[in-house]
Amino acid sequence: MKGTRTIIQVENLTKNYEDLVAVDNISFEVREGEVFGLLGPNGAGKTTTLEIIETLRKPTSGKVIVDGLDIEHDSWKVKSSIGVQLQDSGFYPDLTLVELLKMFAGLYQVEIGDPIEILKKFSLEEKNKSYWQKLSGGQRQRFSLATTLIHNPKIIFLDEPTTGLDPQARVNLWEEIRKIHAEGRTIILTTHYMQEAEELCDRVAIMDQGKIIEIGTPHDLIEELLATGFKRKREVKKATLEDVFLQLTGKHLREE
Amino acid sequence: MKNKSPNQIRPFFSIALYSLIALFRNRATVFFGFAFPLIFISVFGLLGSNGTSITIGVPDGRGSGPIYQALSRIEAVSIKKGSEKDLKEQLSQGRLAGVLVIDKNNSPSLFISQANPQQAAAVISMTSGVVDKLNLKLANVTNPVIKLDIEEVSGRKFSFIDFFLPGMIGFALLTTSITSTSFGLIFLKKTLVLKRIFATPTKGLTILLGQGASRMVMVLLQTLVIVLVGVFVFKFTLVHGLFTLTQVLILSVIGLLSFLGFGLFVAGIANDENTAAPVANLFVLPQFLVAGTFFPIDALPSWIQPVVSLLPLSFFNTAIRKITVEGLSIDHLVPQFIGLAVWAVIAYILASRTFRWE
Repeated sequence: MKGTRTIIQVENLTKNYEDLVAVDNISFEVREGEVFGLLGPNGAGKTTTLEIIETLRKPTSGKVIVDGLDIEHDSWKVKSSIGVQLQDSGFYPDLTLVELLKMFAGLYQVEIGDPIEILKKFSLEEKNKSYWQKLSGGQRQRFSLATTLIHNPKIIFLDEPTTGLDPQARVNLWEEIRKIHAEGRTIILTTHYMQEAEELCDRVAIMDQGKIIEIGTPHDLIEELLATGFKRKREVKKATLEDVFLQLTGKHLREE
Repeated sequence: MKNKSPNQIRPFFSIALYSLIALFRNRATVFFGFAFPLIFISVFGLLGSNGTSITIGVPDGRGSGPIYQALSRIEAVSIKKGSEKDLKEQLSQGRLAGVLVIDKNNSPSLFISQANPQQAAAVISMTSGVVDKLNLKLANVTNPVIKLDIEEVSGRKFSFIDFFLPGMIGFALLTTSITSTSFGLIFLKKTLVLKRIFATPTKGLTILLGQGASRMVMVLLQTLVIVLVGVFVFKFTLVHGLFTLTQVLILSVIGLLSFLGFGLFVAGIANDENTAAPVANLFVLPQFLVAGTFFPIDALPSWIQPVVSLLPLSFFNTAIRKITVEGLSIDHLVPQFIGLAVWAVIAYILASRTFRWE
C-alpha cells in the first residue's frame, strides 16, 4: 500500500509574522499512503506549516505541491481534494450533527446519502439529534473527523487530534485514524505526544523553533540515538502507567 | 484558467439555510426580533386606544333630556355616571373633563376645573355647541345666518397603533441587521466556525451573502408577523390591504440591505462579544429612542430635528409611514431611498476597511 510516490512536496517554506519567524526555510516530502507526523513542542511551527499546506495561510516564501497542485495557484482544487481537521475548529453550536453533516456536504458539494450511516462509522449515531455544543471532547473530535472525511479525500490533515482527550477517547481515536489509514489515505498529523507518534506514524519530522531538525522512521531515529551511546536514566518497564490505567478502567469510551 | 473557484451556488444555499435554522434557535435573536416588538405593541396598543376622547360626568338619575341625548351621541364623548359629589371630586382631580348637571327645568349647568384646562376647553365648546343648536331649533330657526360647512378630507380612521407599529418594524429590522449580525459573525469568528468553513471550497463572499440571505428571510418573517398580529389583534390599518403589505415587505428588504453594512462594521471594529454589545448599542439605542419609533420626529426640539431626520432609521421610519399611513407606493419614496443608499455606501466602505476574517 505504501508507495514511493511523493504526494506532498514542501520546498524552502518560510512564514514570517512581523518580526517572528514561525517557519524557517523547511523542506520535506510526504509519500502516498503513509502516516506522517510533525512533532515538536508548542510554538515550534507545526500548526503554521499545516495551515499553509491546507491553504488557510499564505507562505512568505517557498513552494508547496499537494497531489500535483500548487497551493498558491490551485488553492481551490487543493481545498476540494484534502480533508482538514483543525486544532480547535468549531461548528454552529445550535445545529444538530445531522444538520451539520448536510451543511458540510453542501459546502464540499458532494452527496452523502444517509447522514446516520456516517455517524455510525464514528459511533455517534445516538447523538444524531444532539447539538454540537452538547458533545464531549472525544465526541467532538470524532465528529470533526466525520466532516473531514465527508468528501472522501485521499489526503487528511489532523492537527493535534487527541490533545485534551482522556486515555479511553485517545485510544479510540487512534483506532479511527488507523481505519482511515487502512482505507488507503495519506495522513499528516501533528502531535506533541511521542507515544502517539510511535503508535501511528510511519515517518516523523521533528520541528523546533520553525526548523525541521530531524526526519525519519520512529525506529530509525531511536536506533540512531542509541548508537550514540544514549541510555535512559531508568530501565524501562514492559508496561507504562497508562497501560495500568487502561487495564483498570477499560478501553471502552466514556460518554460524559 | 488557473485557480478557478468552484461554483458557489450550493455552498451559498447551505450557509443561508443552516444559518437561518441556527438563528431561529438563538433565543436573543427571536426575542428582539419577534417578542420584544410584539410586547411593546401590546402595551402601547392598549394605552393608545382611547387617547382623544373626553369624559363628562353626569350625576345618577339625570341622564335624560335633549342635551344629554345630543352629547352622548358624539363619538369622542364618553359619559360617566355616579353621585354628584363623587363626580365633582374626580373633576377637581382632573380625571373628568366636566360635570353636566341638568335640573328639572331642563336647564343645564356645566362644571369645569382648571385641573385639566385643555379638556375643560374642549368640553365647554362641545356643550355650548349642542346648547346653541338646541336654541336655534327651539326658536324655529332653520336657516341660520352663518352656517359652518365642514368637509372631511381623510377618509380613513387612524389610531395610535397605526403610528406605533411601523416604528416597531423599524426597530426589529435594526436589531436583526446590526446586533444579531455583528454578534453572529463575531461568535462564528471566535469559535473558529468560520475557519473550518474556510478549509472547505467556500469563498468569504459566499459566507457573507449566505448570512445576509438568512437575515433577509428572518426580517421578512418579522415584518409579516408584526403586521399580521397588528391587523388581527390591534386593528392596524393596511390602507390598500395586500398591496400595502407587499410594499412594507419590499421596504424591509431595502432597509435590511442598508443596515447590514453597519452590522458588518460593528463586527469589524469589535474584537469579541463583550465589546460588540456596547458598540452595537451605540448604533441601535439612540436611533431607537429619537428616530421616530415612539413619537414623531416633529415632537423633538426644533434645533435637533435636522440632525435626527438624517439618521438611517429616520429614513426608514418616514418611508414605512408614508406607505402605511399615507398609502403611498414605494416609487414615491425616492428621497428616503437616497438617504438609505448614502448610509449603506458609508457603512459598506467602513465595513470593508475594518472587517477581518480572523
